[in-house]
Amino acid sequence: MDPITEAGLNLTRRRFFAQGAHPLGWAALGALTGKAAMADSGVPSGVAEDARPHFAPKCKNIIYLHMVGGPPQMDLYDHKPKMRDWFDKDLPDSIRRGQRLTTMTSGQKRFPIAPSKFKFKQHGQSGMWVSELLPYTASMVDDMCFIRSLNTEAINHEPAITYIQTGNQVTGRPCLGSWVSYGLGSLNRNLPTFVVMVAKPTNTEQVQAISARLWQSGYLPGEHAGVSFRASGDPILYLNNPPGVDAATRRASLDGLRKLNELTAREIGDPETVTRISQFEMAYRMQASVPELTDLATEPESTFRLYGEAARKPASFANTALLARRLVERGVRFVQVYHNNWDTHANVSGRLPDQCRDVDQACWGLIQDLKRKGLFESTMVVWGGEFGRTIYSQGGVSRENYGRDHHPRCFTLWMAGGGIRPGTVHGETDDFSYNITKDPVHIRDLHATMLQCLGYDHRRFTVRHLGLDQRLTGVEEARVVKELLA
Amino acid sequence: MRSLPAIAALFTAAIPALAETRLEYNRDIRPILAENCFACHGPDSAARKADLRLDRREDAIAAGAIVPGKPAESPLVERLDLEDPVKRMPPERSHKRLKPRQKEMLKAWVAQGAGYQPHWSFITPKRPPFPMVKNAGWVRNPIDRFILAGIESAGFEPAAEADRRSLARRAALDATGLPADPALVDEFVADKAPDAYEKYLDKLFASPAWGEHRARHWLDAARYADTHGIHFDNFREMWSYRDWVISAFNRNMPFDQFTIEQLAGDLLPVATLDQRVATGFNRCNITTNEGGAISEEYLVLYTRDRTETASQVFMGLTAGCAVCHDHKFDPLSMRDFYAMAAFFNNTTQSAMDGNIPNTPPVIPVPARGDEARIAKLQESITLARKALDERRDLARKEFEAWQAKAAPRSTGSVSADGLVLSASLTEGAGAKAKFLVLGKERQVELANPSWVPGRDTGKALRLNGSAAVIPDAGDFDASQAFTLSAWLKPPVNAVSGPVVARMEGPPGHRGWDFWIQEGRAGMHLIHRWPDAGLKVFASSQLQPNAWTHVTVTHDGTGKASGVKVYYNGKEQPVRVENDRLAGAGTTKTPVPLRLGAREVGEPLRNMPIEDLRIYARALAPHEAESLANSLEQILAKPADKRGAAEKDQLFAWYLGDRDKEYQKGKEALASLEKEEISLRGKGTIAHVMQEKPGEAMAFILERGEYDRRKDAVKAATPKALPPLPKDAPSNRLGFAKWLLTGEHPLTTRVTVNRFWQEVFGNGIVRTAGDFGVTGEQPSHPDLLDWLAVEFREQQWDVKKLFKLMLTSATYRQSAMATPDKARRDPDNRLLARGPRFRLDAEMIRDQALASSGLLVPKVGGPSVKPYQPEGVWEAVAMIGSNTRDYRADKGESLYRRSMYTFWKRSAPPASMEILNAPNRETCTMRRERTNTPLQALVTLNDPQLVEAARVLASRVLADKSARDDTARLNVLGRRVLSRDFRPAEAAILAESLAGLRRHYGQVPAEAQKLVAVGEAPVDAALDKVELASFTMMANLVLNLDEALNK
Repeated sequence: MDPITEAGLNLTRRRFFAQGAHPLGWAALGALTGKAAMADSGVPSGVAEDARPHFAPKCKNIIYLHMVGGPPQMDLYDHKPKMRDWFDKDLPDSIRRGQRLTTMTSGQKRFPIAPSKFKFKQHGQSGMWVSELLPYTASMVDDMCFIRSLNTEAINHEPAITYIQTGNQVTGRPCLGSWVSYGLGSLNRNLPTFVVMVAKPTNTEQVQAISARLWQSGYLPGEHAGVSFRASGDPILYLNNPPGVDAATRRASLDGLRKLNELTAREIGDPETVTRISQFEMAYRMQASVPELTDLATEPESTFRLYGEAARKPASFANTALLARRLVERGVRFVQVYHNNWDTHANVSGRLPDQCRDVDQACWGLIQDLKRKGLFESTMVVWGGEFGRTIYSQGGVSRENYGRDHHPRCFTLWMAGGGIRPGTVHGETDDFSYNITKDPVHIRDLHATMLQCLGYDHRRFTVRHLGLDQRLTGVEEARVVKELLA
Repeated sequence: MRSLPAIAALFTAAIPALAETRLEYNRDIRPILAENCFACHGPDSAARKADLRLDRREDAIAAGAIVPGKPAESPLVERLDLEDPVKRMPPERSHKRLKPRQKEMLKAWVAQGAGYQPHWSFITPKRPPFPMVKNAGWVRNPIDRFILAGIESAGFEPAAEADRRSLARRAALDATGLPADPALVDEFVADKAPDAYEKYLDKLFASPAWGEHRARHWLDAARYADTHGIHFDNFREMWSYRDWVISAFNRNMPFDQFTIEQLAGDLLPVATLDQRVATGFNRCNITTNEGGAISEEYLVLYTRDRTETASQVFMGLTAGCAVCHDHKFDPLSMRDFYAMAAFFNNTTQSAMDGNIPNTPPVIPVPARGDEARIAKLQESITLARKALDERRDLARKEFEAWQAKAAPRSTGSVSADGLVLSASLTEGAGAKAKFLVLGKERQVELANPSWVPGRDTGKALRLNGSAAVIPDAGDFDASQAFTLSAWLKPPVNAVSGPVVARMEGPPGHRGWDFWIQEGRAGMHLIHRWPDAGLKVFASSQLQPNAWTHVTVTHDGTGKASGVKVYYNGKEQPVRVENDRLAGAGTTKTPVPLRLGAREVGEPLRNMPIEDLRIYARALAPHEAESLANSLEQILAKPADKRGAAEKDQLFAWYLGDRDKEYQKGKEALASLEKEEISLRGKGTIAHVMQEKPGEAMAFILERGEYDRRKDAVKAATPKALPPLPKDAPSNRLGFAKWLLTGEHPLTTRVTVNRFWQEVFGNGIVRTAGDFGVTGEQPSHPDLLDWLAVEFREQQWDVKKLFKLMLTSATYRQSAMATPDKARRDPDNRLLARGPRFRLDAEMIRDQALASSGLLVPKVGGPSVKPYQPEGVWEAVAMIGSNTRDYRADKGESLYRRSMYTFWKRSAPPASMEILNAPNRETCTMRRERTNTPLQALVTLNDPQLVEAARVLASRVLADKSARDDTARLNVLGRRVLSRDFRPAEAAILAESLAGLRRHYGQVPAEAQKLVAVGEAPVDAALDKVELASFTMMANLVLNLDEALNK
């Protein structure tokens, strides 16, 4: 090799380690120098030295299914049979304890209790109560871990979703996926490390905003931001060549580009030029690997029996769940799926069944599929919203229908797979699903626990910004919830 | 401060023995203490352990931690190496470890007497002496002396001067953000005069593109964008501020004035329109209108953002940490922070942005040329108002006579003109109600009626689900005026639902309804929900459990401004949730009119109703009042028992209903006002600052939480910095003046550093937004101080400062790196070679547009929407957000400079975001510069850039002077790189071109597809195979590393 290019490569390599620069670049560089990228050696590439795991990870990948809007826990998982006798009676002050409310119901004169109209049954060895709306989920409770005592402080969507995704209510911090990308790096040199998909709900009565800021990398380097996979058009922005340019033409054109850039590298001696050459090559490889990934034609019929026929429909939740498995199978570290329309201020009975139909079989299918592929042990699946909902009705209440306002003090989230103890039911709430009575889990604790499964002590997994060692769990106390771990 | 740049120490080969080195607190010791000790033993009183402070010499000595000159007796040194993990420092749980050399340094420093220094950036800069240099002949201006001293002490030689073409391109990109004009470059290259380069620079600096480029950098710091940011993330009409910034740079406004006008233009003695527009700087923060949000929480966040932004932009202080606790490292306490926040807390802006483009306080900004007519109109309006007042006074006498005789029912009649439906709904029993439909009576079947106590002694119908169906009334189009009215008695818990509706089900919801939104009355009028619909309702809830008369009128404009809501005859302030109907299409629908429900969906529940009326015209205010019978009670009293307020109420009705002359005057006034509004509509508005009366103050908030107020504090500047000048007012204006005082150590340094960063890629202080203890040390502290003093003494002249930088020998160096320089100084901090780094996102797009000739050089105006892949906005936006559907513009708006692209905060322009443009949610002082495959995909495939390549190719092919391929490729080279290709390059390009010609010759249909990308017309005279081949060549050249870098 030309000595200057060689020097450039060495320099680039050194700087990657020194600055914890991007895994994609590093992986591609490996390819350029003829060395195998991590996928072969088993060692993740591009990880900053001070971000290496602190102990052996229990899980390699995360699929995080976020239900935007906040599902009503008492209609799905937090069974409150005593509420039947409380229909249309006021929530006692002894339960509410002057807690702040959103301004949507703070002006209400009454807080009439709306018992869930849905039937519950106990399931599995764990005896978890599950609503009739989730028959598939109910059939696998012994694979799952339910936290019924999750809590947050935020009471409105924007701050709450920012909080559970980034550990802070104010925007600007890196999200979970970015932290994982930063820490664990890439497992596949041809795909991004952190992928985001926004599923389209069947029912769109009350969808909430999902801002792209949720998957930005904050103060972590930009390459750790989530890459959005889109349901229509190019799956990754600008992935496809322009009309009239086929792969061979692009290849020929890139060959010319590379030769010219090599002249520049030799003349100017800027290591970034060498990196740029490798990034163009990587882009070219992604043009092949991403369509292969999103093409479901190779999936057997049995796959669609698992996820349901909806999985064939682009952007359905089932479709994103299936893609999530395909991504994880190919080494993508973190897959974030958003499913909207859970903000049931009114018409719970009209909307909740639609919402549950969207996710129930698909979640079951995903977990069966991960098992079938031998990925369940190494992949953590998380399902939950940004807060819960109130037992009292927003607006009018009837036996048939009611609405529920935001409720931060308790909500239910489930996890399953890598590192998580199966058949667990953790935490209890009072008869009103209003206050936690046993084993509270703050969302910081959830974050600490997830990091633990990935091999990190959340207190030591830090990055320096504004003169402080910043971490996902922030400055407040957070604890790893050992009871949830396998 | 020092004679040699601190950075030189990093590059000298050997580390000197510590004993021989004079250790400096700021350079050598403070970083160690800040990293390892200050978190527990620093300024933060809440976190302090063992009551020990190590950040202040006297405290550290008093506590016995340091015994100057005696390291062996100083616990600070001694406890670093203790066996006992309980006593050893830093403690185990901090996960901090000192390196052996750091321990050595602490020991040596204590031995040398443990001298402290104030933090460097808090000391007022003074002009330092020039350092000695060997190669004085290289020096062109003072910058070079400081830089050369660093280069020489590291054992390097400066790079040779860049060739004129490279220099021309670099300077054009730095001055204007655009590639060099090939003709200007040729002129410069041919100019043998000694000042050829200065003349070339002057031309660049005089271009309007100069102001655009400088403004584009500033707008990152000012967090400018075109949407509110949170939740709906609706449009914010903010661009007059952007235009102000561009104009300020183009006028070369001195930076001190630039600072004052933006921070406090509204508080200047005679604030001009321009100066008030400038205060938009403080209005660029993100805002919310999320239902359920608590106002105080957001007001606190807004003030915090304004404070942090001002603090970071002008002082390089990351005040943010002091929001929750005393700053761990910088001497900025919580009290300091909230006292500073008080300056920015005294605004009339409310917490909810209303989802509207013009959240108050705003001021109108007329379109250029309309100022005179608007002034004239205002005069006429004043006169018309005066005439109207006079008529009112005259009418008063006639009114008095009338009211003396007026009895109940004198006012209750409203003309039945246009009455299409009415029903009293007071039958009180049975399952039928009498309806008057289009003048004919009919009995209508009621579904499950229940009768409840009515307004008087009778009974009223309680709506509780779809109550009645009337197929033949009220099929209104968007262009028709109509009125909906009824008496309603809302239940205790606010409900939502339609009182009466003629509306289809999902997905389109075509039609209208008389809508109750959580106890607030209003209406929908819809062609296709949500992108072609109108939704307006009153801001306040109806009083529960009481009868209120509600009238909703629509004037036939199909706009939110044409909808009025009255409670008991009084017009109500409204909320506009959707205003995208006008011109979109019909609202007529075959579904029937339904009482209490739409065709599909949740009905209205538990709502007693009486006297439903629908008119096919918009009732006037006095008619709404008549319907509400609000005057009946007054009229029931004898004339002499009526109070003054009651009489005024009667009089207002009288004028509207009886006094024709008054009504004529009112119409005249309305038509003048309408013209004024329409003229103003051609202009824009500006979001401005407006002070509340009273002294600026704020509360200290425990842990920064809005509901945990502690002491109230008055506006004040931080204690560790010079005091507010004696004559300065205690408001934003005083704060701005304080920033500019001669003693202020930060403002000049931070400003010159940011400008330096624009040119050289890194600031002299690399952490351009953090000049505090935790920020990086300056690479050339003396240069920074020299520039800071120079900038002030040159009257804050921005162009002069840039000229100084761009004419320096430092800047003019070739970017070529020797292997030694690349290895020992990879980030080019020493500047032993010229600056070279990737262009910013906007510059990459602008370069393609400009080199192809597509760029439309229009300066300023509303933001534009060029090409963007489908679904980028839709994927994240809420239904009903007015920035949900991205519709690309046509024509010239596709080819404006990228700084004019509409910036939606929750989904910034897709290609720019990939190229590291910030989302503009908060102040950004320094962009990241990554190098990723996703960026390669943008520059290769973005239709905007492919189209530009095609148009560039057409230009090349149409160039008659270029007769062969080599010449044509050189045209390409000169337009993008300002130079011809060298033989080795030309050979590679020729090979590529031959391959492309072969390929497209075989598949001409593919060539046709490629050249069809984009809206710019294709030159029909050009051979498509040639054009496609050259399009790919242009695409290749625009993707060269050299093209993507400056």
